[in-house]
Amino acid sequence: MKRLIDFKNFTKGIWKENPVLYLMLGLCPLLAISGSVSDSIGMGIAFTFVLVCSNIIISLIRRFVPAHVRIPVFIVIIATFVTITDYSVAAFSPQLHKNLGVFLPLIVVNCIVLGRAEAFASKNNVINSFLDGLGMGIGFTIIIVFMAVIREGIGNGTIMGRPVFPENYKPFLFMILPPGAFLVIGFLIALKNTIEGRRKC
Amino acid sequence: MKRKEIIGGIIVLFLVTSLCGFLLAEVYKATSPKIEKQKRLEEEKLNKEIFPEGEKFEKVKKGDVEYFVVYDKKKRKIGRIYTIKSLGYGGYIYLKVGIDNNFKIKGVKILQHNETPGLGAKITEDKFLNQFKNIGIENLYLKKDNPKGKIDSITGATISSRAVVNGIRKLMEKIKNEKID
Repeated sequence: MKRLIDFKNFTKGIWKENPVLYLMLGLCPLLAISGSVSDSIGMGIAFTFVLVCSNIIISLIRRFVPAHVRIPVFIVIIATFVTITDYSVAAFSPQLHKNLGVFLPLIVVNCIVLGRAEAFASKNNVINSFLDGLGMGIGFTIIIVFMAVIREGIGNGTIMGRPVFPENYKPFLFMILPPGAFLVIGFLIALKNTIEGRRKC
Repeated sequence: MKRKEIIGGIIVLFLVTSLCGFLLAEVYKATSPKIEKQKRLEEEKLNKEIFPEGEKFEKVKKGDVEYFVVYDKKKRKIGRIYTIKSLGYGGYIYLKVGIDNNFKIKGVKILQHNETPGLGAKITEDKFLNQFKNIGIENLYLKKDNPKGKIDSITGATISSRAVVNGIRKLMEKIKNEKID
């Protein structure tokens, strides 16, 4: 049964169907950017913006788009929003633009965005698609920021550039290097599964 | 597939792409002056950090080399700022180096690098970069590579340190017969 407004669409993205921990999508920017808290926040906001906008537009035009051209239409719409974000970040926060580097334009091919367009927005009404995009975006942002807090905190001894440990703390470098990202995401997924009591696949 | 469906698809794609193209053109028009300005400000800030007494920085293009000529308040040429790249441990290191009239290094700034965090990435720290001030080509070696050298390499990051030193020395060798002022 489909309701006009269903807030489950919002909450499911944050925990139950979290795009990272449950759907296992969008891991590439997650692993790459989560070495720094401030970059992660920027990435999360940019990503949420693109996801919400593309979900709304795709949901609006879902009845006019013939099934056989839907993928190119989705990609064009997503690419447009990504480019708008790219220009805006470059204009207003050049430092963030420099740090996010290639991962900002790469939101175009982020599987969460296309995945939500295909699986949700093309089948549901505008309000629900908006809620879905917002929930998924916030879910992604929470995980990437949480990972960054762990990795930057342990690996560099700082959070958002400010030291969080006593001066004689020697940073555990491994965490901020690529293998640390895999380790943390593995533990997070295991944690979610343990909490939900789903030990078996 | 029926003819009608194909034409319908073409029309929808055409409409969506042209609308998006139009929108992007507008956004580009609105943001590009700001982006240009940010880039110029960034460049100027770095130049000013390398040559604090510089008043005007003029971009010069000579063949495939680009550099800034630095003028002081009295409009005298007091040096040049080059942007170079040098192969480090994790790829190219891009850096800006200021050279004064006596062919001494005025300052070095790392623009972009891919060195290991915590080790090679320390090349961006002032502790390493300040060593380059007032060094001429004859002393521009790592201490461990050449007895005349005056630069301490970073512990555990010899390759990154050497890349910075060698990149700058290569540049200085190339321009040593040019006249700066």
